[in-house]
Amino acid sequence: MGGEGGGLHRRKVIIDTDPGIDDMMAIFMAFQSQDIEVMGLTTVFGNVETPISTINALHLCEVAGFPTVPVAEGSLVRLKGMPPRIADFVHGADGLGNTFQAKPKGFKSKSNASDFLIQKVAEFPNEVTVVALGPLTNIAEAIQKDPTFANNLAQLVVLGGSFFASGNVNPPAEANIYGDPEAADIVFTSGANTVVIGLNLTTQVIFTAGDLQEIRDSKGRNGAYLYDCCQFYKAWHIKSDHLDGIFLHDPTCMAALLDPSLFTYKTGALRVETKGICVGHTLLDLGLKNWVGENPWIGQPPVKVGWTVDVEGVKALVKSLLCRP
Amino acid sequence: MALVSPKKVIIDTDPGIDDAMAILFAFQSPELDVIGLTTTYGNVKTTMATNNALHLCELAGREDVPVSQGLLTSLRGAAKERIADFVHGSDGLGNTYPPPPKTKAIDTFAPDFLIEKVNQYPGEVTIVALGPLTNLAKAVELDPTFAKKVGQIVILGGAFAVNGNVNPAAEANVFGDPEAADIVFICGANILVIGIDITHQVYWTGKDLEDLGRANGRFSKYLYDASKFYADYHQSAYDINAIYLHDPTTMVAALDPSLFTTAEGVVRVQQEGICRGLTLFNNTKKKFHEVSEWCNKPKIKVAITVDADRVSSLIKERLIAP
Repeated sequence: MGGEGGGLHRRKVIIDTDPGIDDMMAIFMAFQSQDIEVMGLTTVFGNVETPISTINALHLCEVAGFPTVPVAEGSLVRLKGMPPRIADFVHGADGLGNTFQAKPKGFKSKSNASDFLIQKVAEFPNEVTVVALGPLTNIAEAIQKDPTFANNLAQLVVLGGSFFASGNVNPPAEANIYGDPEAADIVFTSGANTVVIGLNLTTQVIFTAGDLQEIRDSKGRNGAYLYDCCQFYKAWHIKSDHLDGIFLHDPTCMAALLDPSLFTYKTGALRVETKGICVGHTLLDLGLKNWVGENPWIGQPPVKVGWTVDVEGVKALVKSLLCRP
Repeated sequence: MALVSPKKVIIDTDPGIDDAMAILFAFQSPELDVIGLTTTYGNVKTTMATNNALHLCELAGREDVPVSQGLLTSLRGAAKERIADFVHGSDGLGNTYPPPPKTKAIDTFAPDFLIEKVNQYPGEVTIVALGPLTNLAKAVELDPTFAKKVGQIVILGGAFAVNGNVNPAAEANVFGDPEAADIVFICGANILVIGIDITHQVYWTGKDLEDLGRANGRFSKYLYDASKFYADYHQSAYDINAIYLHDPTTMVAALDPSLFTTAEGVVRVQQEGICRGLTLFNNTKKKFHEVSEWCNKPKIKVAITVDADRVSSLIKERLIAP
């Protein structure tokens, strides 16, 4: 808490992102929040190819009224070099629901994403939180390039995986982890202070058409813009899940950063399958058994995984930020 | 009360203490007509499984039930890496070291025995599979009509939306032969799978075991002695004073499926990597954008709830009975 009249203590946050409609909502939440200071955006592939993520990130910073926030472009390919899977059938060819409005005036940073992450975390050890809303390629790169990175990160909050519940790419795998399974496994075994929010929670948090209209009609700074971008995304949900609404994946992850008390967690070793038909599957050891012999979960550092969510609490938090003028 | 003729059952087994309970439970159940035992490796090596199966038939006065020995290795010829002697004892029966059986296994190889019986009684035979699915997968491969002719296959295997029991990913029977399990799950037969998510709800406490020891049932003292080692294992592995009733629960599912509810969908088994042996059940109506290994495959039933109290009481009742 800041002193009277003094600056509030704001958490330093870097958002790694592949905007992406739900990324857009999470980014707007972050900019609207009094509790965090967005130090930068780093971009990755996933919903769109990395260069489009970068254009969208620059554009969103400008729309949100923060045109000088640095945007550092990340990897174009997966950690091991394979080309990415692009979910433009979900978010549109432009990543923002085919609204084709992203024409930013600013330019991306001279640093690439992993160097930017390393630099900021080294400059402010134990102060920087990274929110990862796309595949974990840049984070894994930072971990591999700088052996102090994982320990100096205050916290890593990840939108990824699905815990004892279905994936969304296919039954075993969620999109971000499927997007770079080797990177994800490196991140989850790095020892960084990590919280993971998976589909088991985010598919409970839904905005209906009514909720979206409320945001559009509010005095919210980007309400109307957001509403337009969401239409393509909403149409996808009817096809894929017979749902007349949208899942709030990235906003739920941002809510976990802003108010962790809206969630409960389980803690344990978390590994990612990198081979075979279940590639991209996230498997958490709940620690209910004393294992005999060796297995790939034994000896791994603990990771916190979101287990339950206060759905109405998260929705209220998201709305309150997105309806803010 | 209408007289329903008993269900013809072949038990594929790797005794194993809870296998022993399931087999003796079957012998005590008038609803079931056990027409054979086939042996597999899992809790013990196949030859010991055969030995124990013969012993259990003699114990029950059922030397008339043929015992047919199965594959000594996995379907693809791998030797078993992990014999669970720390769970069931080095004799598979809690280190009670029963006398060697007087009877012998029949000459017919287990997969051939399964094929023979299923062809002899098309649509009538229930196979209750209590170990790795090696023999069943072999039968599916040898006889393309097997899957459609078998009445039902009731399987103890897998861990659905819970951690495994060999490691966080895999349950023991599926881990014992993941290739075989995948072949069976997609062969098109009428299949009901009972995973450890169900069987971990069905247990006997230390007190139930004491009741078993004091009872004058036909098999109660025998099972009480065999269970001591198994109970010690549960204490050290799970910090519980209880034993899970995996195989007997599966036998109850064959006898009275109304004690369970099920969901239908495709189950596939991960073959490689750290999650080898993982069972992944797609029971959603979700429309995925890309084609996956869960598309266009036969659906099977997976148990999702169990009336645990009734199942555990029924097992106790029949195993304490004279």
